[in-house]
Amino acid sequence: MHDFPPQVDTFAPGARDAPDTRSPNRFLLWMMRVQGDVVLAMVLLQSIWQLPGALSPLLVGRAIDAGVLRNDMLATLGWAGLLLLVIVVAAGAGILSHTLIVRSWLIAGYGTQQRAERKAGRLGHVLSRRVPTGEVLSIASSDADAFGATLEVFARAVSSVVTFAVICAIMLTTSPMLGIVVLVASPLIVAAGAPVLRPLSRAQRDERTQNSELTSRATDIVAGLRILRGIGGEHTFGENYRRQSQRVRGLGVRVGTWQGVVDTVSVLLSGLLLVGIVYLGTHEMAAGRLTVGALISFVGYAIYLVWPLQTMFEFAQKWIAGQVAAQKTTAYLDADEPWLPAEGAVGPAPRLVDEASGVVVEPGLFTAVVSADPDSTAALADRLGRYLPGLAPSAGAEEAPDEDELAASVPFYRRGRVLRDARAARQARRAEVARADAERAARPWGVTADGIDYGALALGELRRRVVVSDTQSMLFAGTLQEAVDPWGAHSRADAESALTTACAEDVFEALPGGWQGRIDEKGRGLSGGQRQRVVLARALLLDPPVLVLVEPTSAVDAHTEARIAERLVAHRRGRTTVVTTASPLLLHRADVVSLVVDGREVARGRHDDLLALPAYRRVVARGMEDEDE
Amino acid sequence: MNEFLASSRDTWREGAAPARLPRELESIDRSAGPRERLDAWRERHRLRGERARTFFRESRNPERGLPVAHTRPALRFVGRLMRRRPGLFAGVLVFNALAAIAGLVVPRLLGDLVDDATTGRATLDAVDRILLGVAVLVVAQAALTFCARRSAALFGYDMLAHAREEVVDTVLRLPLSRVESASSGDLLTRITSDVNKMSVGVRWAMPHLLTSGVLVVLTLVALFWNSWFLALPILLSIAVLTFAVRGYLRDAGPGYITESGSYSTINSTLTETFEGARTVEALGLGERRRQQLADDIAVSAQAERYTLSLRNILFSFLDIAYQAPQVGVVLLGTWGYSQGWVTIGQITTASIYLQQLVGPMDRLIAVFDQLQVTLAATTRLLGIAEVPDDREPGGAMPAGTQLVGRDLRFAYREGHDVLHGVDLALRPGERLAVVGPSGSGKSTLGRLLAGINRPRTGEVTVGGADVMDLPLDVLRTEVCLVTQEHHVFVGTVRDNVVLAREQDADAAAVREALDAVGALDWVDRLPSGLDTMLGRGRTELTPAQAQQIALARLMVADPHTLVLDEATSLIDPRTARHLEGSMDALLTDRTVVAIAHRLHTAHDADRIAVVIDGRIAEIGSHTELLVADGEYARLWHTWRS
Repeated sequence: MHDFPPQVDTFAPGARDAPDTRSPNRFLLWMMRVQGDVVLAMVLLQSIWQLPGALSPLLVGRAIDAGVLRNDMLATLGWAGLLLLVIVVAAGAGILSHTLIVRSWLIAGYGTQQRAERKAGRLGHVLSRRVPTGEVLSIASSDADAFGATLEVFARAVSSVVTFAVICAIMLTTSPMLGIVVLVASPLIVAAGAPVLRPLSRAQRDERTQNSELTSRATDIVAGLRILRGIGGEHTFGENYRRQSQRVRGLGVRVGTWQGVVDTVSVLLSGLLLVGIVYLGTHEMAAGRLTVGALISFVGYAIYLVWPLQTMFEFAQKWIAGQVAAQKTTAYLDADEPWLPAEGAVGPAPRLVDEASGVVVEPGLFTAVVSADPDSTAALADRLGRYLPGLAPSAGAEEAPDEDELAASVPFYRRGRVLRDARAARQARRAEVARADAERAARPWGVTADGIDYGALALGELRRRVVVSDTQSMLFAGTLQEAVDPWGAHSRADAESALTTACAEDVFEALPGGWQGRIDEKGRGLSGGQRQRVVLARALLLDPPVLVLVEPTSAVDAHTEARIAERLVAHRRGRTTVVTTASPLLLHRADVVSLVVDGREVARGRHDDLLALPAYRRVVARGMEDEDE
Repeated sequence: MNEFLASSRDTWREGAAPARLPRELESIDRSAGPRERLDAWRERHRLRGERARTFFRESRNPERGLPVAHTRPALRFVGRLMRRRPGLFAGVLVFNALAAIAGLVVPRLLGDLVDDATTGRATLDAVDRILLGVAVLVVAQAALTFCARRSAALFGYDMLAHAREEVVDTVLRLPLSRVESASSGDLLTRITSDVNKMSVGVRWAMPHLLTSGVLVVLTLVALFWNSWFLALPILLSIAVLTFAVRGYLRDAGPGYITESGSYSTINSTLTETFEGARTVEALGLGERRRQQLADDIAVSAQAERYTLSLRNILFSFLDIAYQAPQVGVVLLGTWGYSQGWVTIGQITTASIYLQQLVGPMDRLIAVFDQLQVTLAATTRLLGIAEVPDDREPGGAMPAGTQLVGRDLRFAYREGHDVLHGVDLALRPGERLAVVGPSGSGKSTLGRLLAGINRPRTGEVTVGGADVMDLPLDVLRTEVCLVTQEHHVFVGTVRDNVVLAREQDADAAAVREALDAVGALDWVDRLPSGLDTMLGRGRTELTPAQAQQIALARLMVADPHTLVLDEATSLIDPRTARHLEGSMDALLTDRTVVAIAHRLHTAHDADRIAVVIDGRIAEIGSHTELLVADGEYARLWHTWRS
């Protein structure tokens, strides 16, 4: 039988578990098929677990009729023994079924997380052009959880149907009249709760919205705490928080009140049902058509039946939640990288030519690219590495208004339509980006390695030959050793040399535990300059034939920058290095400096020679003209 | 360098990383006999329990970050909150008790009716009249239920609002040195996730504790009142339940904290992988990230298996304890009925009571579970208040505006001084640039001058008064530390600017400050002027506007001395030109200490201090330092070459 953690080979070559992403429902069914044995066993055991609920009122009633009333201890023992047996069997089934519920929940949850991760691995940097990272994260956390919940409620709903059918059969055979009353009344009781559920869910939504506003106020205070404690304003923002907190309190009381109404309705109706049954029962008994034991059974069923019915309503709600999660997940799993397969080989020390700017990267040299516009040199680095550009914030983040907020802003009868339209518009925008990417990848790339266009080269090999370390390069949580050598494949001597070249010894010294000192996620806790130098050390340790560094010292002070410049050139001697920078300290050491203006190379030479050009001086020697003029 | 190499050898790890799980947990021998497998499972369960307790201990006593309070103050805190609204609290109890009593009388009356019907003592008419009474009672029960729920909501949400407001007040009182040191991650987790956990506890668990607790106690009383004889089986159940639930609650706390910790780990791993997708691709880290997630999931699966076993053990007791009394009632009922001790009605009533007990008992166990989480969150929240203050406002007030540092030494870690006796006297109105390599102590010097940290030896005085003995609101108008942060708060423009003089500054002062930094024009064009709401999701500002707001705050504070850390970063180069005027307006007529990364900033200053290895190596004007031909001169020449 399947167990957790699941073995996921989705997206691997020859994978057996390719998800069915044709529709949300198909995807949910596929989820079940992947672990069919677990789901089947879960349904079976759940049904057995619910047996005491279905049978014990009957057995207690029989025991009273046959045993208690007739003073027949043997008959009582028989019925009571049967009851005990049912209870013990059900307890056993309960444990097994709980085990299976957890198992199927986690197979679905962990499985979804791993599939999301695999997809990210395949998409690489294209990921951020397909789906905002926040959405992928919510797929891997809340949606992964929603699938588990959907499977669980599915099993419970099926077994509730079984239990309900068994109880119906028992009641109708015992007393058709009472049976019909209970059967008609109990769904009505559950349904009667529905009208008050709507204001309740509206109140809950309002509270949720205002509560997340409250949380963001708190986050805001923490984020700006340096300012609040350094300059002042504690009173103003403390008071703002208090006001919002009181607003949330008011809304919370509203939620609590509506919850009270729901409970009240349920108490009222089920109480009245009980009275009704006893009324009918006593009259039937007086007419001799019903035994005492049977009446007691009916009372028991009237209390119990609400439960399987509620489960079925819950199923309807959670399946819809599962569909929403499935829709998001399938859209992500369907996203594809735009590259066309290519087989061309990359030489060990390629000569790179960028057609758009005319910049040439000669093998074995230390090339610096300088431009007044840092964005154009960053774009050059992207082209040299064959990366699609990051999306402009307006298109990429596409902070679609929060669905809750959107829903709250229109009247309820237009809500479904508005949400559907918003989703469709978002999907259309994404499809547009994906189409443009595919078009871009189909055209020649515009950068050649030894004369061959990148489009004809095998991407994997190109990535190994040409490594770009840009300003967005991320440090991952772990030890300093893992941060510098994430591959776990390099020697201590090499790591020391890389760390020294990047002038990051102070990070080593500041961390208790040296190489084993902890670095937090995304390098939080290090200063910007420290983070930048560790990232540099990591790139140096990888030691690729071509290394492209984007603004590697932008957050470093002049003293350290001078030291890095000297060591970096020595460290990379004999291999190809491209650095985009405007710092004279680095430019001074480069073999070749290329000046790019408006996206085109306009001059090329050594730093000292280029200084004669006014255009070059303007970019490089900022803040020094005053003295010269 | 030699020191670096020595400790490098000691701390470098050769070979693969140590496994994150012990081998016993990873492999299961499925071929062994049932006896051996049971023993192996016991051993695994014990190991998992040990891991959970270790994790729990470590999470309670973090090496870094803010302190965690003990359980006792947390309980006192909750007690204090509950006593805040005694009338409401009493209302919650009374309404719940009345609703529960009404709910309990109904089955009792129904039982009596069954008796009457069985024995034929009463006529059907009489029975119907009683039933009508029961119906009225049901309506009363429903009404009381509503009152109980509403009072519980009033009580719970009031407690919660008060608790979270107190927490935020505590955060707003954190010592300046603490706020300025390291990351805000821990504080952020506490104020979001811990406040949420406390919310669930207060909003859901506390009312249910009252509601279900009252219901269980009264149902038990009613069971005994109905017939003590038929209530005997439930006593056995209670004994079993107490035993099982106590064991469960003891282990469950660490178990669930470990479990949710394992999910945070998975989440951070995934966040890094998704946000760093380009880095993963560029450096060929895909396989490693995959392995990392697989490891995180393996660890999480063990935590899940532990709590699964705990629940299974608990449920096996619960299922039996809830259902078995029914069997007992039938058996005792037969015997008792034959002896004439009990009636059929009493058996019916007992049977209904037993069924009614299951729901509240289940909830009560869930409540205890949740309360543990709540308590743990509360101890973390109260821990914020335990950060010691390092500032004791004295009576001395500054007489003058000269800032002087004398014999300043400071250590973040004991025995590792980063400043070695710095003496520095600022000349009022001068502009001093502080340069030096990273790690040389220049930022630390800035923080001591701004009165953020207390030096280990020596003192910083302003007009003769020690800056660490000034009350914060006085210090702020004397000297301010300006970092590269230009956070725009959620609030009006006025709220965002008035900060330092929030108690006494009027709209005119705010407008004047905005005008001085050149921001008044665009502020006046905003839809509601000074009252326009700023911040995420409202009116969003351009980086240049945000920086002008940051500068206007300082204009309002009006300190005579400013310490600018990474001054160039404060002004984004792309907006620099635009903001030069605003910046000049702020700096005019003030003493400025600029901790500079870029040399052209230094070059403009009146004096330049070069800090190397925690000492001021040279100090003087640009020209003087060039003549001295020291460290600064060397760097300058490289820069200019």
